[in-house]
Amino acid sequence: MSPSPAPVLSIRALGVTLAPDFAVVIDSLDMARGDVVVMDAPSGAGKSTALGLIAGAIAPDDHPDRAHSIAGQTITARTPRHRFFAPHQVGFVLQTSTLVPYLSVGENITLPLDVAGGVVERDWHSHLIGALGIAHLTDRKPAAISVGQRQRAAIARALLGRPALLMLDEPVSALDPANVGQVEHLVQVLAEDAASAVLLASHQAARGAFAQAQRMGFETRREGAKSISAFALARTDRPQALEAAL
Amino acid sequence: MSPRLPVHLALAELRHEWQAALCFVAALIGVLAPLMILLALKNGVIGALVEGLVEDPRNRQIIAMGAGKHSPTTLETLAAREDVAFAMPAPRSINTQADAVRNPDARGLERGVQLVPSRSGDPLIPQGAVARGGVFASQALATQLGLREGSRAQLVIEREIDGQVQRVRPEFEVLGVVPEALFEKPALFMDLSDLMDIERFRDDKTRTPQTWQASGPEPETYASFRLYVRALSDLGPVQDALAAQNIRTRPWAENAALLVGFQRALNILYAAIALVAVLGFWAAMSANLRAMVERQRISFSLLDLVGMVPRARALVPVVQSVVLVLGGIALTVVLVLPVLWGVNVAFGTPARPVIATLSLGDVAMFFGLGVLTACTACLWALRALSHISPDEVLRHA
Repeated sequence: MSPSPAPVLSIRALGVTLAPDFAVVIDSLDMARGDVVVMDAPSGAGKSTALGLIAGAIAPDDHPDRAHSIAGQTITARTPRHRFFAPHQVGFVLQTSTLVPYLSVGENITLPLDVAGGVVERDWHSHLIGALGIAHLTDRKPAAISVGQRQRAAIARALLGRPALLMLDEPVSALDPANVGQVEHLVQVLAEDAASAVLLASHQAARGAFAQAQRMGFETRREGAKSISAFALARTDRPQALEAAL
Repeated sequence: MSPRLPVHLALAELRHEWQAALCFVAALIGVLAPLMILLALKNGVIGALVEGLVEDPRNRQIIAMGAGKHSPTTLETLAAREDVAFAMPAPRSINTQADAVRNPDARGLERGVQLVPSRSGDPLIPQGAVARGGVFASQALATQLGLREGSRAQLVIEREIDGQVQRVRPEFEVLGVVPEALFEKPALFMDLSDLMDIERFRDDKTRTPQTWQASGPEPETYASFRLYVRALSDLGPVQDALAAQNIRTRPWAENAALLVGFQRALNILYAAIALVAVLGFWAAMSANLRAMVERQRISFSLLDLVGMVPRARALVPVVQSVVLVLGGIALTVVLVLPVLWGVNVAFGTPARPVIATLSLGDVAMFFGLGVLTACTACLWALRALSHISPDEVLRHA
């Protein structure tokens, strides 16, 4: 029997109230390296909020059963971000491929590693920018490249540290249809090369490279006057190897 | 975390937003340049006047009014004060005059020559000191009588007893000449003992023209004194101290005290103008830096998201603030110096070539104040920065 993959993400009862009548909750989610999970709830359901909660970017509500850990690091309200958001732990591709406008594309790609004081793996760096087709753009400023190229740079930035968990928030929503399949395929292949677990929020993943990936369960339930968008990856949905690891 | 990355980010953002940075620097120059020129003019015009006054020791002289009775102890105590540069006893003013002085080796005679008691440390004789039998001649007297160092000066001292004029003619060696810049009138600076002999000859009938220089006991009191304070600002306190002992005095140069007061008032006025300007600049800078943080809001949120610690992020606006302010001051200096040169060329005279000047200390003060202002003006920006959270970049998407 092969050894169980190490859990990279474990969540219970992680949620936030966004308005008196609306909350987003991740009831449960467990992922290991190599897992690919898609959140394909409809627009407005709270996918980005759920990713923000997972990334520790949004402060969660207190809940007695709340549990949250990334790559073995338990996250509480007091945990400094650099403890759980190092480039080897998490990579995050934002919906609009936000890059720092005054840094070159190359500097943007290495930014998380520079922040963490890490060393760039030259071969992996070359492989990434080569595969993404942006090797010739590294000296340019973000304003001087196209939206699609910016998105590829953002993907390179997220993957450069070979993160245990790669999160993508609608990474292809701003791309023209001709590029969507290609970029999704690149993400899939490069994440596999980096041995990252992939958590993708997308409302158009029913087709394309992630069509066959696991889906997070989604439901809207009511608690009194409050409408709750609830995400969960039921235990029965998870691979057996992960089940054993947890 | 090493400060290298925040410093790099700060400078890269300034380069990227160079037009905004340039506007910021231009605004800074607009405030600082007039302030620097004003300070330079204050230094040049008033500074030169006050410096001239301070350099002339006569302006630091306090003159005793009328004849008094000053014990040697009182005068020693006065001389020992820290704000007193020179103090010595002097005889009655009526006895500080020779009826005439002549150069026995040349023709010419000067009547009614002032005799000034002196001794080592006399601020009017910086190059030497009188000694018993030796005098310093003022330039005016030296020119009149052809005296120079090594010459002999013969004094004519007269007294009248029972209608009969008695006269003595002591001779003194000229030890040096007091420059006209320090003493304008014809005068001889002489040892106090010699001067006391003259006073005794005039006042004491028992002293004959043959015995008038016989030694006598030191007087219990002196009628007057010569007194110089160390700085113009010491004039007031020393005069007050003397007034407390019922000794009436007046400064040799009344206008010196006035000018010192004027300088003080001007310093206060300049400080007030500078304070208002600095406060205005500080407020403008605070607003600019705050706007700069707003401009970079999403980038700061992204930096937070990828794990940049708050202290490192805070360094970005601080570095930008310091760089902009120091750059602004340096540019202001570069622009103002030619202006000052032009002012000096246009309005300077051979006697007073410097109308406007800035010292290195002034420039250093501007830089020091600039750094202080830069560091404090970014507090608002830092507060705004502390409220930028990593979820903003998610919401921005």
